[in-house]
Amino acid sequence: MFKKKRPLQSKSEIVLRNIVVTFLVVYMGIFLVVPIVMAFLGSFHLWNPLNGTYKFIGIDNYIRMFQYPTFWTAMVNTLIFCAVVVLFRVLLGLGLAYAITSKMTRHKTFFRTVFYMPTVTPLVAVAFVWKIMYNPQFGLIDQVLGLDVNWLYSSSLALPAVMLMTIWKDFGYAVILFMSGLLSVPSDYYEAAHIDGANAWQTFRNITLPLLKPTMIFVVITSIISYLQAYVPVMVMTKGGPGTTTYLSSYLVYDQAFVKYNFGYASAIAFFILILTAVLTVVSFKVTGEKA
Amino acid sequence: MKKRVMSGTLFVVLILAGILTVVPFVWMVLSSFKTNAEISSLNQTLLPQEFTLNNYTSLQSNFNFLRYFANSVFIAVVVTVLVIYISCLCGFVLSKYEFKGKNLIFGFVMMTMMIPWSVTIISRYTMFMKAGLQDTYLSLILPVMVSGFGIFMMKQDISGLPDELLEAARIDGANEFSIFHRIVLPMSKNSISAIAIFQFLWIWEDYLWPYLMIDSEEKQLLAVGLTTFNGRYSTDYGGLFAATTISIIPVLIIYVIFQKRFVAGVAAGAVKG
Repeated sequence: MFKKKRPLQSKSEIVLRNIVVTFLVVYMGIFLVVPIVMAFLGSFHLWNPLNGTYKFIGIDNYIRMFQYPTFWTAMVNTLIFCAVVVLFRVLLGLGLAYAITSKMTRHKTFFRTVFYMPTVTPLVAVAFVWKIMYNPQFGLIDQVLGLDVNWLYSSSLALPAVMLMTIWKDFGYAVILFMSGLLSVPSDYYEAAHIDGANAWQTFRNITLPLLKPTMIFVVITSIISYLQAYVPVMVMTKGGPGTTTYLSSYLVYDQAFVKYNFGYASAIAFFILILTAVLTVVSFKVTGEKA
Repeated sequence: MKKRVMSGTLFVVLILAGILTVVPFVWMVLSSFKTNAEISSLNQTLLPQEFTLNNYTSLQSNFNFLRYFANSVFIAVVVTVLVIYISCLCGFVLSKYEFKGKNLIFGFVMMTMMIPWSVTIISRYTMFMKAGLQDTYLSLILPVMVSGFGIFMMKQDISGLPDELLEAARIDGANEFSIFHRIVLPMSKNSISAIAIFQFLWIWEDYLWPYLMIDSEEKQLLAVGLTTFNGRYSTDYGGLFAATTISIIPVLIIYVIFQKRFVAGVAAGAVKG
């Protein structure tokens, strides 16, 4: 069915359109365009709201940023965090969705509801619960596993611990998306493959996976965008520590902007994150071979 | 026989994954009924040895937790209703009307989803402080009442409504506003439920913005309250368990009640996108 381009006819259509367009243009102007421009200009200034400093310093903030070791630590951590969490989110999401949608599984709704539960819970509260779970004396994890590990104070285990919490919190969203992707595969495709003598793996590899590509792209890109912005788990669980081992890029912005009030410097880092977001989005489109 | 082994394995895997998913919640709720001595003892049991409601009652006397809870419910409901209405209205116009500049406006709407909070929050904070909006609820509502995600979802959903339906109503003399309220809104229930739960949760868990804007304790929201509580009574684990239980369980209940419609909405938005 093709769409007819229908000119606006009645008066009420024009009124409604004008209301919506005016509202959106004004709103986006005030809450999107102006702040971005302000932050961009601010990134070239020494800007501290507490003592009212706003002095032009050229690209000094950017130079300082690239010379600041914590910035690089945070960037490396963020990339590791993104890669690992996205990988597990996709693997768990796809695997569990496959298991749930299998003809042999009963109680599908029950499992789907359970897996999605962590996703609909508030992150701040969940991060506090996990922080106590990692407690070396009486935390659930060490108790159950019979270990004596101080997860959040270990420079090698703190970041993995934060990642594990994030994977637990977010895998359910991927399960739901992959489930609806799997259910939308026409069943005669599977029948045809069965008649041709394809085994389960061949069917999965050659039919299911290619058809899930749009879902995969959606999951990967939305995950990358959101993890580049993650700061709450770190703020609640480790405050970036021990040392700077769990600094993530957005936590660095939070820290510089609202703990140390270096607004100009924080804006420079924020712009770097924006560019990184754009680059990674384009790269993931390229890698998956889809047009943007 | 092979089939049976397969289905048995699948079931065991799913059950195990399910247990790992709910364990933190179960542990949190059970621990909230334990005394602090029992929580930090070395010999732990899953069920409370000595059942107590103390964590909940002392939470309220040390700390006005119910007030935070009520504030969060109020703000979350107001924002959610506004976001739903605005998303539907914008989604309707952007999907069913043809006009110049439509794609440009939709492009900007999509951009709001891609721009990291860190880029806009510093200037937004400066703007709101200059405008004297600090410590007002208006400051919590204004910046989030238009949601790029919401408009995108609704545009996808409403574009699937048959044009003939709208045309028929127009021929019967209905104006656009009544078409929107009587036809478009009621037919978008799935997407509306998905947006409702997400939006409610985002407001419920948002930390930084209310922390920056709200000064008076009696106006503060739950997520900030939790952090303040932990800062002030860092060894009161029982209290923290009670507080987290109070902030998690209501959202879970809402989700379980509406989950069917919600899942349909989430899936529809993503697959078409």
